[in-house]
This record gives sequence, structure tokens and C-alpha cells, in this order.
Amino acid sequence: MQLWLIPILPLLGFLLNGIFGKRLTKPVINAIAVGSVVLSFLWVVKTLSALGAFSGGLEETYKEHYYTWIQSGALNISVDFAIDRLTAVMLMVVTGVGALIHIYSVGYMSHEGGYYRFFAYLNLFMFFMLILVLGANFLILFVGWEGVGLCSYLLIGFYFLEKFATDAGNKAFIVNRIGDFAFVLAIFLVGFHFNTLDFATVMTQVKGMPIEASAGLFTAISLLLLVGATGKSAQIPLYVWLPDAMAGPTPVSALIHAATMVTAGVYMIARTSQIYLHSTWALDIVAIVGLTTAFVAATIGLAQNDIKKVFAYSTVSQLGYMFVGLGVGAFSAGIFHLMTHAFFKALLFLGAGSVIHACSGEQDMRHMGGLRKYTPITMVTLLCGSLAIAGFPYLSGAASKDLILEAAYEHAPWMYWVGVFTAGMTAFYVFRAFFLTFFGEYKGKHAAGHGHGHDDHGHGEHGNGEPHESPAIILIPLVILAALSLGGGFINIPHFLEPIFPLQEGEPARWLEYVATAAGLGGIALAYLFYVVSPGLPESLENTFKGLHTLIYNKYYVDEFYDSTVVEPVVGGSRQLLWRIGDVRVIDGLANGIGTTARGLGGILRRAQSGYIRSYAAWVIAGTVLAIAYIGFMGASR
Amino acid sequence: MPIANFLPTNADYARFLPELILTLAGVLIMFLEALRPEGKRTHAGLFAILALALALPAALLAKDGAAFQGMLVIDGMGTFFRTLVIVVGLLVVFSSTDYLRGENQESGEYYALLLFSIVGQCVMVTANELVMIFIGLEISSIASYILAGYLRDDARNNESALKYFLLGSFATAFLLYGVAWMYGATGSTNLTEIRRSLISGNAPPEALIGVAAALIFVGLAFKISAAPFQGWAPDVYQGAPAPVSAFLTVGPKAAAFAVLLRIFMGSLEPIASRWAPAVWVCALATMVVGNFAAIMQSNIKRLLAYSSIAHAGYVLVAVAANSGTGSAAVMFYLAAYAFTNIGAFAVVTYISRKGERYVGIDDFAGLAQRQPGMAAMLTIFLLSLIGVPLTGGFFGKFYIFKAALDSKLIWLTVLGLLNSAVAAYYYLRILVVMYMREPGESVETLPPAGALLQIAVYGSAVGTVLLGIFPSLILDFANRAAIR
Amino acid sequence: MTLLDVVLFLPLVGFLLLLILPKESSRMAALVISLAVFIVSLGLLIPYWFQYPSGHTFSTDIQWISYPPIRYHVAVDGLSLWLVLLSTLLTPIAALVSWNYIDKRVKEYYAFLLLLEFGVIGVFVAMDLFLFYVFWEVSLVPMYFLIGIWGHERRIYAAVKFFLFTMAGSVLMLGAIIFLYNRTGTFDYGQIQGMIQTGSLVFDQRTELLLFLAFFGAFAIKVPIFPLHTWLPDAHVEAPTAGSVMLASVMLKLGTYGLLRFCVTLFPDAAHRSAPWIAGLAIVGIIYGALVALVQPNMKKLVAYSSVSHLGFVVLGIFSFTQQGLDGAVYQMLAHGISTGALFILVGFLYERRHSLEISAYGGVATAAPNLAIIFLITTLASIGLPTLSNFVGEYLVLQGTASANFGWAVFAAVGVILSACYMLWLYQRVFFGRATESLSHHMPDLSRREWAVIVPLVILMVWMGSFAQSFLPSITVQNAAILEQTKRLRIERVALPARQTAEVSRANR
Repeated sequence: MQLWLIPILPLLGFLLNGIFGKRLTKPVINAIAVGSVVLSFLWVVKTLSALGAFSGGLEETYKEHYYTWIQSGALNISVDFAIDRLTAVMLMVVTGVGALIHIYSVGYMSHEGGYYRFFAYLNLFMFFMLILVLGANFLILFVGWEGVGLCSYLLIGFYFLEKFATDAGNKAFIVNRIGDFAFVLAIFLVGFHFNTLDFATVMTQVKGMPIEASAGLFTAISLLLLVGATGKSAQIPLYVWLPDAMAGPTPVSALIHAATMVTAGVYMIARTSQIYLHSTWALDIVAIVGLTTAFVAATIGLAQNDIKKVFAYSTVSQLGYMFVGLGVGAFSAGIFHLMTHAFFKALLFLGAGSVIHACSGEQDMRHMGGLRKYTPITMVTLLCGSLAIAGFPYLSGAASKDLILEAAYEHAPWMYWVGVFTAGMTAFYVFRAFFLTFFGEYKGKHAAGHGHGHDDHGHGEHGNGEPHESPAIILIPLVILAALSLGGGFINIPHFLEPIFPLQEGEPARWLEYVATAAGLGGIALAYLFYVVSPGLPESLENTFKGLHTLIYNKYYVDEFYDSTVVEPVVGGSRQLLWRIGDVRVIDGLANGIGTTARGLGGILRRAQSGYIRSYAAWVIAGTVLAIAYIGFMGASR
Repeated sequence: MPIANFLPTNADYARFLPELILTLAGVLIMFLEALRPEGKRTHAGLFAILALALALPAALLAKDGAAFQGMLVIDGMGTFFRTLVIVVGLLVVFSSTDYLRGENQESGEYYALLLFSIVGQCVMVTANELVMIFIGLEISSIASYILAGYLRDDARNNESALKYFLLGSFATAFLLYGVAWMYGATGSTNLTEIRRSLISGNAPPEALIGVAAALIFVGLAFKISAAPFQGWAPDVYQGAPAPVSAFLTVGPKAAAFAVLLRIFMGSLEPIASRWAPAVWVCALATMVVGNFAAIMQSNIKRLLAYSSIAHAGYVLVAVAANSGTGSAAVMFYLAAYAFTNIGAFAVVTYISRKGERYVGIDDFAGLAQRQPGMAAMLTIFLLSLIGVPLTGGFFGKFYIFKAALDSKLIWLTVLGLLNSAVAAYYYLRILVVMYMREPGESVETLPPAGALLQIAVYGSAVGTVLLGIFPSLILDFANRAAIR
Repeated sequence: MTLLDVVLFLPLVGFLLLLILPKESSRMAALVISLAVFIVSLGLLIPYWFQYPSGHTFSTDIQWISYPPIRYHVAVDGLSLWLVLLSTLLTPIAALVSWNYIDKRVKEYYAFLLLLEFGVIGVFVAMDLFLFYVFWEVSLVPMYFLIGIWGHERRIYAAVKFFLFTMAGSVLMLGAIIFLYNRTGTFDYGQIQGMIQTGSLVFDQRTELLLFLAFFGAFAIKVPIFPLHTWLPDAHVEAPTAGSVMLASVMLKLGTYGLLRFCVTLFPDAAHRSAPWIAGLAIVGIIYGALVALVQPNMKKLVAYSSVSHLGFVVLGIFSFTQQGLDGAVYQMLAHGISTGALFILVGFLYERRHSLEISAYGGVATAAPNLAIIFLITTLASIGLPTLSNFVGEYLVLQGTASANFGWAVFAAVGVILSACYMLWLYQRVFFGRATESLSHHMPDLSRREWAVIVPLVILMVWMGSFAQSFLPSITVQNAAILEQTKRLRIERVALPARQTAEVSRANR
């Protein structure tokens, strides 16, 4: 079935653009970059249809073996790819959305420096993401896992002249490494106890074991995996890197930090669901982590002014929902939300990009407004996205989110209520962004160059100050995604995934749905009231709840907290304690100490060498006496 | 009994041939020197070389056996040491000539004295008689006293000679006293007899023997500059003319060690439990004093002096081992050390020049850039002194510590090994200045080396490396020659 | 006279040849000779190409010294093979790196380089303890001169420190070797090994421990294992680029190789008994080295400390006494040799341009020299163990093995994986990102042809070793299996009890 073609095509694109890109013209670069991804998308479609994924087939896992990567003792790790229905969903999302975003980027990045570099990285990302999805064992998955991390590092730091960009890149990579640290530990446990890392083998073995068997081990593994997932999927406590990651170009935020990479954690947990099902309380922790993240992120989202930041926190929050889904055992719902979220969040980011593009790189919503005159199409598409995420009935977001909430209610009602409240907030801040951007009067500074500096590279020629609609190449992907956000809910993923994640029978109460929808609509209404009807209201509220507002505006000071409790102690401690004292003073001090003592002893002996014959003679006498005493008399005693 | 029995036979003379050759040569040189017209250059040097060259085969080919009623005994060890001191003599002559010309002090006496001293050492190493040992020692010493002060109008030479003489005779007195005790205790001065009487039924009181042994040991320990009798060595070696120092650090020591082996491992073996521990202590003290004092030296001759003390310490470790392998190790080490040290001193001689102006370690700065050949040779010698493999010095240390471990002297071995690590430090300093500093005034003004000196240097280097790669050349012989 | 003898002695011949040849030709001569050595050494692969012999190949065993019986006994096996190839590969690279860098006393320089190659190859192939020691010391001298003559400001201090540290360690090893001889009457590694296996040679615990420590001390200093590592940063900072390369890539491996070849197999019980302590030191080294690297203002010092951290993994793997651990350790030796060697080379490139090793002197190099930046990035990623690049395989296997020996160790050791990302990426950001100053971009030409030629082979190897580990692992695995077999006796089960049970259960359900 040549599964390897799926990732290899983007890899080729990467190699071509990466090595020769400097000498290639833009059209060629586009052809290579976009072409490779589109081809791999088509190949995915072909493969899946051949496997009958669209026609009720692919009940069993289809696996291909390529070569042995590492063989040490009993442990054999092969480069294997495998497809089951879960993978199928991921493949479609990744290559599909990926292709759209590639196309979008052609327009969006057209004026950027390092054009070929950007597309090379993007293709490399596709390669690793597909490895991650296709990998048939823990280590291959981990290869992709690390690889996408690398690409995100490279793309966040794409504008490497700016320190904040490269800082954000490092932060993303290192925070992810903390997650990976736990991930690899989990892998070691698996490798040690099952002597294989192959998903199929491990999962069947686990399935075979009684639930109560060695819950300790499975809890350990699943919690370690969870920590790994919180890193990649930006959950508490490791979510801090994602907002900063917005320093990268907007298409990157859309592809990597909304649609695909950040959902890797969700995918991984779904992939290892068997282990979780064998752990007594790991799943609860997953759910709680998800719920807390969803709520906290949403609150932060309420007060952000940078449009990308708003959507970033919204992403964190939505990922939280997916975790809730997994945590309450509704894996398919989680994956369903993963897909719909990929649609509407990609749409929102790309739309935001179009808006930013329109305002010559402005990202602060306070300097936007009234754009509906200038960018109607963008507005419409963004509206679709916003409605979808706000949970408007029958739209994609509603379909998946409601499933999760219902499952949460089955699991524990309070989770449901928190989720609903969060949904309300979500609707509110998304539409806050929407209204601030498109309604009211345009408050943009009438000059191209400006402080934020994110996307200002090369946008200068639009510097006439008038906001303007984006070109077709940008709008077409928007439109497609808008359509998906509207209709995506009708793709019945839970049913599709039934062979893997059996659905719990019994219809949930209808009212759960209504309440959730109501919360969403309420949020929208509130946002309308605040930012369209009486724009004065927010200020007055901010002033009344000053403390609370500054708290959430500053993201609960979590970054500051981490800096002061982790980063600074480690760096300072290493410099002062370990290096200056430990290495230089103590260890070298000892070594040199030996040297000085030797020299000191030498000095003494040298002074003993007086040069006077009498003293030498005295020594001889002394020696003689000793010798006689010893050899003559004492010697006998032994 | 008929007088004839006391008359030496031809065989005796044959075994005594090397000494005879050298003595005759020495006397002849003195005689010719008296006839030499003023200002005419002497050829005594070449003459001495000739004599030594003749003595060498004589020593090598001498048949084993006793001579002169067993006063001398030519055995493997005797042959080994005789050959060694003669080779040493050769190398010293080669390294001396240019030096003496530089000081324009070249005259026959120097070579004559050298030959006499060698004769004395030959006698020491073959003597089977305490009295003969004493005589040999005196011949060797008196000649070397004069050599040490050879440059009459040089203050350092005189000081050196005086100290050497006074302390030397002081120590020799102990030796003589010890011989007397030994005679009193055992009724004989013949080493074989002494041993026999020690193991015989009516052995003399051990304490008595012990005192005698102690006194003899002191006398010899002085000659090999073992602590605490080493005091004179640095001053003498530093003060004496460089080639002479080279000779003194090797020749007399080798002879003294030979005697030490004969007396203690041979005759006094039965009371080894008494003297071995003393040697143990002495060895350790000597290594420590030599190495640690050397660390602080800035004058290269003095540094090499202390290093020679330290090396005496290593050899004593092998003596303390008190075994066949031990004595073999002693022989091998002394041979390797002889080449190495004479070579090193030869380079020093070359650098120091007239009046020994340049004997500071810093005077070697940048030698590698102006005289890479010489620098390389000195490097070989220093590495050998450190004990880096593929040099004689390494195998020397190896055999010594092997012997020590054979005899379960674990701690002495460990301490000795650590000492050799310390030693690396001060030898490295010379390498550092030679290779890693820019050339200084002394090196910039350095004339090319004379032919004879080069023979000495390169000859020693070849010897050092050969012993480092094919130690069997000498070791097999030493093993066969070893006592017990 | 086997191929191995040729590989071993060709560098020595080259050394002597260089002494004779005129100064001008020494550069080219050294390069040609070292390349020839490398090409010849590739022949050693032939027996390991299709099947993986567990025993020795290319063995030569002739008497060198009659008494005590010291033999010139050399051979390669799955373990030494790769280390020999590593040495022969890096020597020509080192020669090429020094092409313009070394302008004074060129002849001596290249002579010493070849002598060094002779020494290190000898250490890897010597099968006679005495011969091993000889080469061990011989390899010390040229490196001493390389640092001392062609190094930077404090080169002499560094060189002497390097020599004395190593010397202090090795003398005791000599003592132990002699002791072994006195007990066995032979220096032949194979024979002694056999005696220990058959039990005809047994030590009481104390003696064995002391012997073990005597060997261990020598190797621990060379590796270096915390807290004996302080000579390394100085040596690296002061050494010329090629010196650092040979030091990091090859000489440090002498230590780890010794641990694996001699410490573990000659004194298995002592090794097992002291494993927890050594593993502890290794873990401290991993974390300590990484943390100290994090705060170094000097690029070479940073890389040097990173080596301390990386080699901690190797030691940990060895003393985990598991198949994966040992395999990982060996693989990490090679991977570290490639990646860290490349790092030092690249730092050298930067130094040749800017004449400073201070990180603060750089910034924005990526704009001035994009290719250099990309290569450096790849190397950085390899060194922080990114999958598909060389170090990952090693680190993974080491940690996997350690985890099965003692999960706690693995947890602590894995922290090093986080920290490595911190210090390397931070270094990369400060050197390559940001806006370049005028003066910097003027003095920052991109990679030259020669530099490409130097670095590309290493980059290829990084990817190759990372993606196709099986082209290297099998022979190593076979060899390590044999070593493990030799150290089996007295195997201490170190696995936590509950975990054991689950393991049983899981197997039961298979």
C-alpha cells in the first residue's frame, strides 16, 4: 500500500526546497511545497479508499514493516507504519488542513524574507507529523513527536532577528522537553515490562489482563504519558509555551499550534487508551487536568487584546475539552472535537491572519474595528468559525463539544457544569474578538510600520493605511474551512471510530444539549451587548473588578512564577554553587591543593639542604644511629 | 705450602685484563702528558677512548670464576657491572672533550683520573672481599674527588670537591668500621665465608652482625646518595663540571649498588629480616626527598641531582624486594638510568657552555625551535626519567615494581608509583620551556654541537630507546646474572 | 602481518616520514597518510559485513619480550572495531581542520597528530595488558604537546594538568597490571579472562575491589567521571581545534573503552558491587555537567562540560549491566565522537573567523553565514539527542537499559535530556540568532570548500547513525552479549518487587 509515500512526499519537498531553495524562483518553491502536501493528501485519500475506510472497511489495523531500526537483546524496534480508523481521521485532518494552510501561506508569506526556508520547515513539519500519526510503535511515534517539536521551534523562531521570537522558540522546545522527559520514562517502563514497544502487541497484552492487575504500573505509565501530552498539547501545568508560540507566522499558528501538532497529545492518549482503561484513576486526572485547563485558559482569553493571543488561549481551552472527553472515557468524542476544532480553529487563525494582513500587520484588536467595510469575505468566514466554536446549534463545534459535555455529565455532573460555563466564556471572548475587529470604527494607526513587529516583514507596500481585503489565494482556503466548520459536525466520527472506541449505549438527556447551546448563545449576546451596544461597559467593569482583571490580563503571573521558582534558581545555582564554588573552588582547589602541598614540602626539604657540611654530617650520624638501632637491635624483635 | 700457590696464574690476569688495560692506559696518559709541550693539544681523550674500547671486550669475554685466591670473582653480575661502568666511561669521555676544550682545560690528567676511577669501580663490582671492596671504593672515590674539582680556579668546583671529599671519607670510615666489626664477628672478610659462618651451626650473635651490616650499609648508602645520607649529592653534582656530574651520578652509584647486592643479598641474606625493613624505609625516604625537593629547583644540574637521588630510591625498592628478580631489576635499571642520565647531562653540557653560564631551566626556552634534534633527544631522556613506555626508564621502573610486588611490598610499590607520578611534574617543566616557550638569549646564541658530544648524546638516546623497545637485550643477561 | 598491523603502524611510519620530509610538504603528507590509514581501516569491516563474529579478528600474537612474557598481541572485535574506525576517520578530518589554523611549527604538529593516532589505535586493539598500558601512555605524550605548543593563552597550565591527572591515574593501573601478572604469570587479556571465567583465578573481595579501583581510577580520570573531570574543560578550552576534536572524540573513549573491556570483565564481582556508587557518580556527572554547561560564557568550555554530561550516559549504561545499557553505551561513544567532534570543529570555524570563544562576542551569525548556521543546528540537534540523529539511539538504549536495571537511575539520568536542550539551544540562540553587528558580519564568511569537506562526512554519519542504527549495532550487540556473559556471575536483581510481579503477569498473558 506504500504508506511510506505519505510522509516521504513532504520530506522530498523539504529536501528540495531546503537544499536548492535559495536558487529557486517562488513559483517553483510553491509548486514543490504545496504540491508535495497535496500529493500526499491525495495519496492518503487513495490509500484509505483502497483500505475501504470510506465504505465501512478498515476494521482491523493495517500495518507495513520497512526495516529494523534498533535491535538490542530482546528489544526490537522497527520502522513500521500502521493505519486504523483513528489514524485515518488524523491523516485526513493533517494532510487536508495542512494542504489548505500551505496554499494559504503562498499568499500570506509572499512578501516575507526566507520564503523557501519557511516552506521547507513547513514541509518538514508535515513529514514528522505524518510519522507521528503513522508510527506503529512508541518510538516511531516519539520520532514524529520530537520532530514536530523541532519544526515548531524553528517556525516560532522564524523571525530569528527578534529576540522574543527565538525566546519563544526555546521556551516551546524546552517546555516540550519536560513533557518528553516523562514520555520517554513511560516508554522505558513499557519497553521493560512488555519487551516490545509495538502498539498492537502492547495493547492486546494489556487488553488481556484483568483490570485490577498491576494498576500501579499502568497508573505510572499513563500518568507519565499524560505529562508528555500536557507538554505537547499545552495543558496545565505545561501550557505556558503556546501563547508565546504566536510569535511565529500566522499560518504556523494555524497549522501547528491549533490544528495538528498540539492535538498530538490527544491522539497519543487515545492511541494508548487501553493502558488508561487499566489504570484506576489516571483517566480522572486526565479529565480534571483538561477541565481546569479549559476553564483557566478561557478566563485568560477574556482579557487579551492581541487577536492571536485570544485564539491561542482559546486553543488551550479547547484542547482542555478534548482531554475532558478522553478523561471521561468518551475517546471518540475527544477525537471528534479534535477534528472539528482543527477546522474552525484553523479557520479562526487564518482569518485572523487575513485581518492582520489587512491591517498591515496590526495584531492589537484595540487598533482594529470596523473592518466589515473593508474585508467582507474574511468577516463572513470568521463569523462561521466563531459560531462553530461558540457551539451554535448544528455547527461542527456544537456537535463534538456537546458529545463531550454529555459524557462528562454521565461521569460527574459538576464537570458538565464547569464545561458549560467555560463554553459560555468561550463564546463571549470569541465574539468579543469578532466584534472588536469588524464592528465599530477603524482605529488603526495610518502607517505601516508599528511596534508589534510580528508580521510586519515586507507588508510595507500596503502602507497606504487603508485596510484591504486579502487576495483570492488567501480567501479560498478560508472559504473551504468555513464550509467544513459549518458542516463538519455531520461527519459522524464517533460512529466511524466505534471498532476502536465502543460507544456507551443509552441516549443522554436532551436538556444537556439545550443548556450548553444556551450558554453559548448567552456568551454571544453578552459580547454583543458589551462591544457593540454599549462599548463603555467593559471599561467600567474592568475598573470595578480591577484586581481580577489585572490578574487574568497578566495570565495569573504563571510565567513569572515559573521564572522565579524554576529558571532563575537553576541558572543562578549552577553558576554560583556548582561552577564557581563546586568546580573551581572545591574540586580544582583540592587538585591544586595537592600541588601546593607538594611544592611546600619541596621548599622545606630545600631549606633542609643548608649547604653546610656539618649539617650533612649530622644527618649521616643520625641515619647511622637509626640504622644500627634498627638493623642491630630492633630488627630482632620482629 | 709452596709460594707458587700464591702467585697469580694467567687465568687470574685474564680475568683482571680490563683493569690492567685501563690502569696502564691511565699511567701512560700521565706520562705522555708530562712530555707534552706547552700549548700543544693533547690526544689523551682519543687514547682513553681507545683504552676503554679495548677494555670493553676484555670485560665482556672474561671467563667466569675466581681470581687471586677468590679476592675477586668474575661472575655474571661482575661482568655486567664491569661492562656497564666501562660503557659509562666511554660515553663520559665523549661528552667531556668538547666541554674541556671550551673551558680550555683539556689535559691528560682528566682522562687518567677518569680511567682510574673506572678501575676502582671495576674492582668494587668484582670484589668478593670486604677489603678489596674498600680498596676499590677508595680508588674510585679519590679519583672522583679530584674530578669533582677539576677546574681548579672555579669556586663551585672547589666547594664541590671539598664537600665530596670530607663527607666521602667520613662515610667511608663507617664502611671501614663496619668491615672491622664484620671481621670481628665472623673471623673473615670473604663474602662467601661470611655467609657460610652465618648459616653455620655456631653463628655469631645476630646483633653483632646487624651492627656491622648497619655500618656497611651506611657507607654504601652514602655512595648511592640514599636519604638521609644524600645531603652532599646536590651540592656536589651542581658544583662539579657537568660531564663529571654525569659520571658521578652513574658510575660510582652503579658500583656501590653492585656491592650492596653482593653483601646484602649475598652474604647477609640470612639476616634479611633485619636489614630489609631498613632498606624499605630508606628507599621510601630517598624517593620522597629526591622527588619533592626537585620540584622547587630552577637550576637544571641541581634538578637532575635530586632526580638522581630519587632514582636511587627506586633502585633501593628493588633491593628491599631482596629477590632474584629484584637484583635483576637493579641491574637493568642502572643500565637504563646510565644511558638516560649521561645523555641528559650531555645535553646540559652542550647548553651550559663556557663557565656553565646557562644552567637555569629557563635557558632551555625554545630549544625545540633552534635545535630540534637536541630537544628531541633531551625529550627522550626526560620521558625515560619520567618512565614513559618505549624508553628504558619505563621498563626499569616496571621491573623494579614488579619485583617489589613479587615480594609483597604492596605499599612500597603504591607509594613508589605515586612518587613517579609526582616526578613527572618537574621533568615536564623542562619539556614545557623547551617546546612551549619562545627562544631566549641562551638558545639564540647556541653554536652547533661538536661531533664527539653528539656521539655521546645520540649514543645515549639509542641506548635508552633500545632498552625501551627490546629490554630483553640486557634483561635476559641480568636475569642470568642475578644473585639467587 | 594482518591488515590490522598495517592500520596500526601506518601512522607511526607516517610520523617518522614527516620528521624526514621537508616542512612544506608535511600538511599534505599528513593528510594523505591519515586518509590512507582510514581507507585501509575500512577493510577491517569486511568480516563484520555479513555475519557478526563474536571472537577476535585480524589477530596477531607474537612475542615481544621474552621475560616477563610480554606479547605483541593485537586484534579487533565488535567493540574495538568501531572505535578504531572512529579514530582513523577523525584523524584526517583533524588534519584538514588544522589546514589554515596551524601556521607555526607545522611539521611537528602533524607529526604529533599521527603519533597520537598510532597511540589511540594501539590502545583499542591491544589484547595484552602490558601492551595496552604502553599504548595508553604513548597516546598521552603527543596530546600533551598538541595542547601545550599550539594551544591558547593558558595552554601550558592545561597541558600539564592534563598530563598529571592522567599520569596519576595510570600509575596505579600499572601497579594493578603487575599484580595481575604476578598472580597469573601472563599479561594476555584473553588468558587472564579465561582464568577468571574458569574460576582458576579468584581474588578475595578486598583484593578484587582494590584491583578494580586501580583500573577504574585510571579510566575514570580519562572519561572523565565526576568529580575527576576538571582537567577536561581547561584542556578543551586551551587545545587547538583539532586537539579538542581528537580529545573529545577519541581520547575520552579510551576511558570508557577501558571500563568496558577491562574493569567490568576482569573484576565482575567488584564491578557489580560498586555499580550503584559508580552509577550515582555517572548520574551526578550527567546533571552536574549539564547544569555547569548551562552557565558557561565560553563556547568550548560549554561543549566540554556537555561531554562530561554525555559520557555520564556511557558510564551509566555500562554499569547498568543490561544488554541495552551496554549497547547504548558503545553506541553513545561513537555518536558522541561524531557529534561532539563536529561541534568542536564548528566552534573552531567560528574562532577562525572571529578569534574569540566568548559567546558574547557573537550573535546574528545566521544572517552572515546561513550554511554554517544550518550545519551547526543539525549538529546541535544531534548532540541533544533528537530522534533520527546519532545520539538519540545511544541515549535511548542507555536509558532503556538503565530503566530495566533501576528505574530510579533512569529518572534522574533522563533529566540530563531536558538540560541538554536548554544549554545547547541557548548557546545556539545567542550565537546565531539576533541581529549581527557590522564587524561580525564582515568577518563571517560562509563555509569554504575545505570546511564543507570537513563537516559533511560527519553530518552524513549523524543522520545515518540516527536512522539506520542496524548498520552499526549488530556486531556491537554480539560483543556486548559476550561481555555480559562474562560478568553474569553474582548477578544482583535490582528490580522493584511490584514491577516484577506485573512483568510476570504480562508474560503470563502472552
